[in-house]
Parts: sequence; C-alpha cells; structure tokens
Amino acid sequence: MKRFAVLLVLGLLLAGLVSARELIIFHWWTAGGEREAADAMFKALHEIFPDIEVIENPVAGGGGVSHRVVLQSRLAAGIPPDTWQTLGGAELKSYVDGGYLVPLDDLYKQLGYYSVIPKPLANAVTIGGHPYTVPLNMHIQNILYYNKKLFDELGLEPPKSYDELIDVLKKIKAAKPNMSPLGIGTKEKWEAAFVFDSILLEVGGPEYYVKLYKGLIDVKNDPVFKEALEKLKALIPYMYPYHSSLTWDESCGLVVSGDSAMVLMGTWAIGYFKSRGWEPGVDFGAVTFPQVPERILLFHPDTYGLAKNAPHPDACRDWLMVVASPKLQIPTDVIQGGLFARLDIDPKNFPDPIRQELQEYVRTHPDKLILDQHGSIAPFSFTQAYWDAIAAFLVEPDVNKTINNVSMLFTIYNVKEEAAWYQWP
Amino acid sequence: MLMALKDWSIFLIPLLITVGLLYGMLFWTFYVSVSNWYGTAPNYQFAGFKWYKLMFSMDRFWTDFENNLKWLLIGVLPTLFVALLIAYLLELSNRKKLEFYIRTLILYPSAMSFIVTGTIWSWMYQPDRGVINTILDGIGLDVFKSRFTTDPKTATYWLIVIFIWQFLGLAVIILQSSFRSSELQEIIESALVDGASRMRILFQIIVPNIRGGMLILASLLLISALKVFDIVYIVTFGGPGYSTDVLAFFMFIATFQQHLVALGAGLSIIIFLMAFVIVVPYTIYAFRRWFA
Repeated sequence: MKRFAVLLVLGLLLAGLVSARELIIFHWWTAGGEREAADAMFKALHEIFPDIEVIENPVAGGGGVSHRVVLQSRLAAGIPPDTWQTLGGAELKSYVDGGYLVPLDDLYKQLGYYSVIPKPLANAVTIGGHPYTVPLNMHIQNILYYNKKLFDELGLEPPKSYDELIDVLKKIKAAKPNMSPLGIGTKEKWEAAFVFDSILLEVGGPEYYVKLYKGLIDVKNDPVFKEALEKLKALIPYMYPYHSSLTWDESCGLVVSGDSAMVLMGTWAIGYFKSRGWEPGVDFGAVTFPQVPERILLFHPDTYGLAKNAPHPDACRDWLMVVASPKLQIPTDVIQGGLFARLDIDPKNFPDPIRQELQEYVRTHPDKLILDQHGSIAPFSFTQAYWDAIAAFLVEPDVNKTINNVSMLFTIYNVKEEAAWYQWP
Repeated sequence: MLMALKDWSIFLIPLLITVGLLYGMLFWTFYVSVSNWYGTAPNYQFAGFKWYKLMFSMDRFWTDFENNLKWLLIGVLPTLFVALLIAYLLELSNRKKLEFYIRTLILYPSAMSFIVTGTIWSWMYQPDRGVINTILDGIGLDVFKSRFTTDPKTATYWLIVIFIWQFLGLAVIILQSSFRSSELQEIIESALVDGASRMRILFQIIVPNIRGGMLILASLLLISALKVFDIVYIVTFGGPGYSTDVLAFFMFIATFQQHLVALGAGLSIIIFLMAFVIVVPYTIYAFRRWFA
C-alpha cells in the first residue's frame, strides 16, 4: 500500500513535469489507406515532441465533405481548431480572405522552407506575398495509368500525345471489341475535368492553361478551347459509357477488372492499384499525359496552417515545424500516395518506380509544376460549376452550348479578379 | 389565477422557445439570402435580391425546380394509390398470418436509412454489372434493359422509384390504421349487407371517410419528396452533369462547396416557400375540423 502511494506521488510528479500540451487538428484522412498516413504523421510528431497530445477532429462527422461543413461553421462561430488540412491554391485563399489564418513568414525564414520546395509549390501557398500554410506533399493529377500486360501483349507503347492516345485506343478497340479502352468515372464530376485539362495542356500549352483559369481568355471566341472540346468529344466513343455512376476508385477498378485498359488519375491511384494486388511496373504502368509540347505536371498540395486565435499556438508552431521536416514527409507521403514537398529528400525513398521517376523529374524541373483542378487557380465557386459543365458535356456533347455555359461561369464567378493572385511560373 | 398562469407557462415556455427558434432561424436565413456572404467569412452587407437574380438566371436552378416538381408529382401520387390498394387487400384477406408477414415485408424498407438503400439500389442499377440488367439478360428480356441512372433523360425517375419503394410500407400502415375506426367498419358492414361491390366500397365509402389519414399521409410524403437529398447524394451525386440535381442538393453544394452562402440561403427560402404552399391546405383542413 505504501509502495503504491509512493508510485502514485511519483507518477503525479512526472505527469506534472511533462504536462501534455494539446493540439487540436482537423483533417480528412480518416478512411482506408489515408488513416495510416495520418497515423504516420502523428507518430513523427510524437517522436520529436512527445509532450504534444493530438486531439483529432473533435466534432463527430469530420471526414471528407462534412469536414468542410464542420470546419466552416466553427470558423464562422469564432472557435477555430489550432490547425486544419487544406489544399493549396483556391481553397487556401478562401481561408486567407476570411481572415482565419496567420501568416508564417517567420517560420519559413527560420526553416529556410522557400529554398527547399519548388517555386510553383511556394506560390500555391503564398497569398499577397505571405506564406500561410506548410505543404507536406504534392499530388500530381495528369497521370495515365495503363494495363502493362495488355500493352505488352498488343505491342503498344504508352501514349505521349493526343494523337498517340487516339491511335492506341483504336488498336485496343480493334483487338478487344468488348472493352471500353478509356476508363473514367464522373460521379464526383472533377474526373471529367482531369481528362479535359490534359487535352487543354496539349492544344494550348502551359501558358494558355494558366491564362484560361485566371479568366484571361475570351472562351466564347477562343479557337483553342473549342478545339480542345472537339477533341474531348472524339474520345467519348472509347470511354466507359456508364461513367456517371462511378467514383474515381471504381474507375481505376475498371482497369483492374479488364473492362478498360487505361485511366487518367492522380498519384493517389497508385495506392488503389496496390490495394487490389497490382504491382507498379509489373501489372500497371504510368506516364504523365500529355508530354507535348512540354511535360507539365499538374499538382496540388496538402497543407497545414496556424489559425488566428488558435487555442494552442505554441504547440501548433512545433507541429508545423514537424510538417516541414523529412521525418514526417517521408513516411506520410510514401503511405498516402503523393510526392515529397521537399526537393532535398532522396526519391529512392519511394518504393515504386513511378514516383521515383516523378520525384526525380520535379527535382530537376521544378518549374514544370502548375496548380491542378483540386488546387485550383480559379475560385472554388467557379471550379465546382465548371466540373458540372464538363461532366455534362461527356453525356451530352454539345460544343457550342458548353462554350456558352463555361463562358458565362467565368463572368458570373468573377474569375479574372478572384484568380489574379496566382503567379506562374 | 396565479396557479393558472403557472400551468399555462409549462406549455407556453417550450412553445415560445420552439417558435422563437424556428422563426428566428427562418428570418436569419432570409437575412443571409439578401446579404453579400460569399467566401468563408460572414459578410452581412445588404445586397438586395442580387443572389436571387443570379439564381433565377441559372439553368441549373430551373432543372432543379423541374426535378423537384417531378419528385412531388411522381413520388407522391403513385405511392398513395398503390398503398391504398395494398392496405385494402391486406384488410380484406382472411389469412391474418399471411397479412402479418406481408406487412412486415413491405415495412422493412422504411426501417432502413436512405444511405443504405441508396447504396444497394445504385449497385442494382449498374447498367453493365448490376443485378437488374443481369436478370433481364438471363431471362431473355434484353429489350427492357436500361441505362437507369446514367441516362440523363430518365435518371430522376429511377431515383423516384427508390423513394416509392421505401415509403410504401409506412403509407400502408398509416392507411390501415385509419381503416380501423369502428364507425367506418359499421358503414362497411352495412354496405356489404346491401350488396355493394368491394371496389365500390373502397372508392365510395372508405376513401371519403379516411380523408384525415390520407391528408396526413400526403403531407408527409410531399414534404419528404420536397426535401429529398440523401437519395440523390448517394446514388447519382446530382449527375449525369446536373440532370438529377434537386434544390436541397444544390443548396448543399452552393453553401459548403462553392462557398456561396447567400445563394444557398436563397435556395433554402425557395424550398421553404414550396413547403409552405404544400402544408397550407392541410393546415386549413385541420383548423376547420377543430373549430367547426
């Protein structure tokens, strides 16, 4: 009994010494493989700051879309968490415009973070000259995954341009008439814009792409936009016809099940293919698409910032330092599926050849990164409606109607003004 | 006198709180809809009917409005009619055990949430691997195969089928219970003695006498059809394009995805006005009965 009392007192003393600091964090990595990535993040934090106690999503129903619903109502009510997950680009800007984030100039200076991440990534988290969040990864949008065994069987090379794509699609259709060569799922709409983006990048080139989403192109009288739509229309016969009922992972499933031969999806699909037992480089291959006139990578980062009036600002600053470190980025990004935000991490840390090559390319060509549909140059209000328009086009391919529609969206949502913050290169 | 006031307050205070909260929120929603709140931060600057003007100029709004009307019409009338027939047949049957089983069977869907049934239906609707088309294929009825929810022209109707299936059981129960007043049973018995046919009894005796139950049921179905969100969210997410979109879903997208809070509030007001128009006839009927 006496011994127990002594232990109790000792325990209390120890607890007092390393009294846990709290950190309230909102994130949407709650499902499947992403949960493990979140655990890897917090493990890295605990190794460096064992005294920080993480409180995740303290409001029920904080995952995915409902994450934003809960977060938005808490922010508007003036009870913010310390930090929350946000994409760089338009989503981040909406929080900055709302005055919910503290600029992190001092932290960036202290860590020298600007010098270790690519310039376009820095631009995606810098609004009005100040960095507002710390990115921990980069997802790449324009990757064409293909069934490697089928391509070997038919003697096909992965396409690098639109014409090559059409050629490959024709050959697959001829050899396997029951197949819908190009897998796609547009239930959540953005998937349609992914395919269209790749075509825009080739037809218009990177400068055009940026100008378009900055609202500087008169879409109504623009030959490039029209040509890109025509080219998208020409792909429809090769697409999986019931795409509007599939989500992105189900569309990747079409490739695994043999219904389709290819799918255009972001880096996060690697994890999906692996979970279905497909080995990168053996069962499936991946190329960025297109590679003409330039090999551009469309990207968006996951980032964390510091809330204005955060309840635990010190613990949060420590957290952001860990987010910026390789100690967190290596295990988290390898599990979750993106590339490393830091360029000084060895690409060999990735287990798959696909990301090793991509990371190496980003390292040597950091200027070839442009914000994608999720990161979004244009404001979110526009982007959502734009996705709907492009997804509708795939079902009802009326070129002129879609041009009018999109042109109206650019005006309604005032894209020219709202996207003026974005600078590229 | 004091005692009476105390008694009153037991009922009055909760009532006042509820009414205050309800109408306070309603007014606040209206206020937001004429403000200039877009983006994540509240902005209560008065903007007049700017967002309503934008709303009415949108193709999407009119598609949604039309879809909502489809839900109201096709979701409610067939449910009422079929439920009436089923309830009557169950009532007529002499085999009470069988009736019990059937009633349980059709009541099951109501016990499940739309999230569950929506997921199951979307699997069944899959055009190339779903169970419905596979069965049609198997029994040689390929001509009836459909693209279901992936065809923008018919997608909404297939969603409404889910709604009808889910609400049928509840409708039958409500109607059956309104059959069972002793007055009505007596009238039916005397009609039987007079030699009236079963169909005539249903439409000329039962239906006029269960107006109360029918009205409650119709209002319940109308309001459920009007606020439909979950089925659309789960099965089609508004797609293809926005062909199956409804006002409640658009409100959600506008407020929380597009951050156009004022527009979302405006859409809520439109939904409220529609609900108001639907509930008014029932309210008038109820008041007449109480005060006549």
